[in-house]
Amino acid sequence: MIEVNPQDYDIVLKIKDESDIAVSRQMAKNFAQKMNFSLADVTKIATAVSELARNIYRYAKEGYIYIREKEAGPEKAITIEILACDEGPGIENVELAVSGGYTTSERSLGLGLAGIRRLMDSFHIESEVGKGTAVIVEKRRHAY
Amino acid sequence: MKSKVVPTIKLYDYLLVPIQIELDDNTVERLQMQILHEIHENDVRGIIIDVSMVDVIDSYISFVLSETAGMAKAMGCHTVICGIQPQVALTLAQMGIRLKDIITARSLEDAIDILDELD
Amino acid sequence: MKEAIIYNLKELVEDLAASDDLKREWEDFLVNLADAFSSEDKDERIKELFKNLLDFADADALIRGIELLNSRIGGFPFIEMLKFAVEALDGIRKEKETRLRELNDILAELATPIIRIWQDILLVPLIGTLDSHRAQNMAEKLLERTASTRAKIVIVDVTGVPMIDTIVGGFLIEMFNAIKLLGSDVILTGIKPEIAHTLVKLGVDFNMVIIKRDLESALKYAIGIAPDKSDRKHGRKRGDGDEE
Repeated sequence: MIEVNPQDYDIVLKIKDESDIAVSRQMAKNFAQKMNFSLADVTKIATAVSELARNIYRYAKEGYIYIREKEAGPEKAITIEILACDEGPGIENVELAVSGGYTTSERSLGLGLAGIRRLMDSFHIESEVGKGTAVIVEKRRHAY
Repeated sequence: MKSKVVPTIKLYDYLLVPIQIELDDNTVERLQMQILHEIHENDVRGIIIDVSMVDVIDSYISFVLSETAGMAKAMGCHTVICGIQPQVALTLAQMGIRLKDIITARSLEDAIDILDELD
Repeated sequence: MKEAIIYNLKELVEDLAASDDLKREWEDFLVNLADAFSSEDKDERIKELFKNLLDFADADALIRGIELLNSRIGGFPFIEMLKFAVEALDGIRKEKETRLRELNDILAELATPIIRIWQDILLVPLIGTLDSHRAQNMAEKLLERTASTRAKIVIVDVTGVPMIDTIVGGFLIEMFNAIKLLGSDVILTGIKPEIAHTLVKLGVDFNMVIIKRDLESALKYAIGIAPDKSDRKHGRKRGDGDEE
């Protein structure tokens, strides 16, 4: 799985209570706002973090969300990177989970991962059954 | 019944639910129960949920809202949502979320007009 | 180095300048270059000089110049100069790219007007090719305007769009769904065969969007269903004494 050094990140959020979902969403929103993302992109980022935090809480009970600002690509675009990782049960069929409409938990739309992927510019997932799941997503800031 | 999550307003035979708090998972579930009880107790024909103060609606919140609307429908009650912020609308649309069983309105006035016409 | 260049100045200018009217420029360049060698910020100054030179000469001329200086002047830092030349060219390329991006943004802005054409009706005539960046930018602006004007109907006219790819088509459908979430209706008009093809392949829901053949019928329809504000307040059935 992915090695993480918390010191490399601007924000580290521990997810273990239901209320941590709303807190992480709020923290992500504030951070994206400070990075000067457009209001629409701030909302998309906050929503994606909300989904990631919920997945951790639902399936793994606890885990971490790491957020940082970085420069990406040859044009060095200002980018927000979000890493969500847990040591939960892992996902058996990653492809199916990402394609949308799939859920192992009741009372959800099953759009979690697919929705996150649509909201962000890049999406990467690693998961191993019995070991855990790591999701890395990025969104570039566009100049308008 | 336990304390209300959101103070509501009875207007004609509609129930106005202005959401002005951060919606975490627990709150949104308690809100669902509260709305259903209020429909039952107050003989409500339509619910108007005003989300103009809500700046993040994710898949779970929208799911519970749709689910609530479905339950309200089973009790003979329409659900209208108004005040969705433009950036929230874009986010929901991009995630591919549809608010099943919910009618969307441009404003509170529009919501009342729509419910009036549904008789 | 400085002395060597100044000493051979006349001769060098003669060989470098392709025509008489360029002699002045080359002379200035060589004098400044000679001067730059002994300055503190040598690297920056030389790069700047190369950049300025490229205003009147092309890259070939610059390279020929560097080669000539190398053959005439002992100890000329050939590799270093070539490196500066490459960097100067890269700098120019980057400036051009930035300019192009700015122009594209301006073009996108100009090509996507949002017109409040009637009470409660917005008209968005899309012109030109849409890319995903422009489509997203437009979606944000249009949603903002729809919410702030509380328009009942948004007419999107794609007569001026030659074709769309599936990514942009997907953005458009998302934009229509988002407008519906605001409680407004979307009328789509001016669809050419290519666009119809893409939209249907993508699974556009024609219950979400009202389709009209041309702008005229779209407008007629929109005006027909747009609520007339003067009527609205009488509409309240339970309004006791609500006369105005």
